[in-house]
Amino acid sequence: MQRVNTSEFRAVPLSVIFLMAFGIHAPLLLMKLPLKSYDTNFHIFFASHYLHHWFEPWNTKWYAGFSQTTYPPLPQQWVAVLSHVFGLEMAYMAVQFIGILLLALGAYRFARLWVDERSASLAGLAAVFLGAECFLVYSAGQLSTTFAAPLYLNALPYLYEWLRRNDWRALLKGAALSVAAAVAHHATLLFGSLLFAAPVVALAFLDRKSDEEEAASKKGIILRSIVAAGIVGAAIAVVLLPFWIALIKYPVTQVPIPHPSRANYILSPQWGLNYFVVPYGAMIIALPFVVWRGASISRLRPLLLGFWLAFLLGLGGTTPVGRILLGRAFEVLTMERFTYWASLLALPFVGLLAKECIVRFRMAGIATLTIAAVFTCALAVAWSTYKPADAVDFRVDSTAAWLNRDGHDRYRYITLGFGNKISRLAMMTDANSVDGEWNSGRMLPELTEHGGGALTSSKYFGKAGLDALSAILHHADHYGLKWVFVRDPYYEPLLVFAGWRRVDDLEDRTISVWGKEDVPPATPLNAPQIPPAWQGLLWGTLPIGSSILAMLLLLIPARKRQEQRAIQPASSGDELIFGRLAS
Amino acid sequence: MNRSTLFALFIAITTVGLVVVGTIWPVHTAQAMAGAGYSFNGSSEPQSAVTNLLAEVGSHDWNAAYESLANRSEFSEADFIHDLNGGYPSLRTYATLADFSVQPLHVLEDEGKFRVNLRWSSVVGVFQESRDLRVAKENGRWKVVWPLVAEQRVPPQVIPVNYLRWDVIYRGPGDDWAAQNVESPHVRIIDMRPIDRGNGVSILGEILNEDTVPAFVTVKSTLIGKDKEVLGTEDSFDKISHVLLPKQVSPFRIDFPNVALSQVDSVKMQPSSSLIAASADPVIEIENQKLSGAPHTSLTGELRNESGQIVNIMHVIGTFYDNRGQLLWVGDSYENRALLPNLPAKFSINVPVDIADKVATFRVVTSSYSSTLL
Repeated sequence: MQRVNTSEFRAVPLSVIFLMAFGIHAPLLLMKLPLKSYDTNFHIFFASHYLHHWFEPWNTKWYAGFSQTTYPPLPQQWVAVLSHVFGLEMAYMAVQFIGILLLALGAYRFARLWVDERSASLAGLAAVFLGAECFLVYSAGQLSTTFAAPLYLNALPYLYEWLRRNDWRALLKGAALSVAAAVAHHATLLFGSLLFAAPVVALAFLDRKSDEEEAASKKGIILRSIVAAGIVGAAIAVVLLPFWIALIKYPVTQVPIPHPSRANYILSPQWGLNYFVVPYGAMIIALPFVVWRGASISRLRPLLLGFWLAFLLGLGGTTPVGRILLGRAFEVLTMERFTYWASLLALPFVGLLAKECIVRFRMAGIATLTIAAVFTCALAVAWSTYKPADAVDFRVDSTAAWLNRDGHDRYRYITLGFGNKISRLAMMTDANSVDGEWNSGRMLPELTEHGGGALTSSKYFGKAGLDALSAILHHADHYGLKWVFVRDPYYEPLLVFAGWRRVDDLEDRTISVWGKEDVPPATPLNAPQIPPAWQGLLWGTLPIGSSILAMLLLLIPARKRQEQRAIQPASSGDELIFGRLAS
Repeated sequence: MNRSTLFALFIAITTVGLVVVGTIWPVHTAQAMAGAGYSFNGSSEPQSAVTNLLAEVGSHDWNAAYESLANRSEFSEADFIHDLNGGYPSLRTYATLADFSVQPLHVLEDEGKFRVNLRWSSVVGVFQESRDLRVAKENGRWKVVWPLVAEQRVPPQVIPVNYLRWDVIYRGPGDDWAAQNVESPHVRIIDMRPIDRGNGVSILGEILNEDTVPAFVTVKSTLIGKDKEVLGTEDSFDKISHVLLPKQVSPFRIDFPNVALSQVDSVKMQPSSSLIAASADPVIEIENQKLSGAPHTSLTGELRNESGQIVNIMHVIGTFYDNRGQLLWVGDSYENRALLPNLPAKFSINVPVDIADKVATFRVVTSSYSSTLL
């Protein structure tokens, strides 16, 4: 059994980790690379609404009107706030960059609960290169998920501190950060409480006697867990009240929309590449270590179980687990977020593995880890180029200008073949559409009854998508739908036979404008889903207020304690390496 | 073996086991993503060979589908694709296989026959196709013998055309403010009849272009209830020929789902027309029309394109009358293959069984779509 002295190897300082994050992600964000992703423009569209109508969550630009209280608002509201300085696009990049920095910090702090200082610092460093993070930021454009998870990771060490040491300051900070995470993304908190918080509570139980001077009782930990859950739950209930009201009064009952993250990655290897190989990258090689080490050390087992569950759910339809555990939610949620969470839960193990590699192989280990990390990050970043959200880039300025002139915006419109450019178009035009990209917010029966996604991409949803398109065209008069912008001739036969006429061409005849005679001007739909003014007031103050409160609470100095003993999964100093694997 | 090892093995083995289960018996969503009729049995069973072939067709994995055929030496992969997708751009070209069913006709030890019903989803709706596939056992594996239907090609030729055409010069932006646009054509509804179809009300009718210029027509209808409330407003959508040349008549049908005729007090009809540039080309001749009887009552016939232009999509609308000349039904169908010059193509319009018995006469009109963009 080989023994190596690790005392000469120090933890990577946080400043270096942040500099790494700055060096890697700042250029990519300054290039506005996320704009090519699937959902970035969607988030900017939401932010644009907050920018112009901060206290009015009813947005008439999509679906003939929908409520933005159906989606937690924190990152979009911060984009709106910062847009006064940077403009909407750069404000988005700024908020995303803050999310990346918070992730590095959160990964370090979360890993510190489980592993030693050096491993935790390497986990923080690994978070900068994390494939799943790069995939979600640059390819999927999931701002909310990538903003909420770091907040949650940063909250958990405070909650652990509260459970172990009854420190009310830690409770306040942890609760405030948890609420901020919830108002950034509801699903993160919902599933995070099981995947992230449950292992931390279990860890508090396992560690309760490790600190002889401040040993906690089982009863005390249970009681404090209940108190923390109660405070966080109550705060989230109040802060997101309009969201809960919308969810309870108008639950998402629409026909599920297919999503490739629910595929079986073996039967559909192209989706396996997209949702497994790219997000995990070189971490795939570390998976056996995660299982082996997690099973070997008792205090790592809760983390391993959390990781394993997230990992299985992230496999989508490759296993029956998602369908069994999530039920109908399996048909509504997209599963790549579970892969992201599994990656975050694996980071402490990755930190451990990295440390042991460096200790054992020194420069060779560092070189190998660097290549693996850079390759993982590069592949996930480049994925938006290899597999872009929109195969062809095009401008929507002329379409917006056409809608904004000659009273064309008195009518509603849809686009066909515009992909996720519809968010950008919606921001640039005064006209309203019956289409949109926020499926959970739509209420029009023509859209909810068929199981298709956005009308602009109808053909990709097969019969369901085309049925929805046909249904909405049938009711063009009812919705004041007079204009259809076509960038894909596939749809032209339907328009020709259904009585629409080509009235103009744009962008060098690559976009055709179709109109219908005798359509009355659009009138506001008197939808019961329109939130009352008081909900708009709550929505405009409490979510962003909760994040500001969290920032202020973090300024409260931590309770002074005796030097905390490092929590080591194994003995410190001279350390057994790899031999453990074989023993 | 200690507890840690057991725990690690449990996680590893359970994960692999769950993946195996999820692959052999995929959940519905995953199965749909893998192909409409994915079967893990490979080609060890005759029906699986057919199912897997159609799943590959559904996912447009043409190469794999072609390679799995028993008689692939008889034709090229391009011929195979053209058979399913059409050699010329048409509805088939961009249709996706929505679903299919496989029905065994007979299965022996080393050969069998299956009837497959394919439902293709196209931009204008679903169309169906039925084929009988023979399967044969080769080296212990079942393979499909594909019954290739070679699409006809148009030979090089010159086709003289002589048809009417109307061009329109509209008021330009620089014209005097008082300048008038040309007047809308005069159209008139010459027949209208509401019928109860069980799951809703249908308004059948015919509209005439009385003018000497072409018209683009649409018909809207509003149902008024017993208490003078509006029960619904719908338009003819694609159940009409929108372009009417002078003196031309088009049937129309307007459907109101979930309304009973007994609820209706009156019907308000709103025909509208606008002047358009139009031509009589392509000229489509309709030949050999006949009404076939139960159980699959339909009006069949042949379309002949007498122009030199390829028609990518044909829409055929049939009007059915009883022996007193009263409107009974308006039905339609889209032809899923391109209509080539001077080559006849069959069409078929389904007629409800209860109506078919009363049909004495019928009339067919067509409208077409041609595009260089498809």
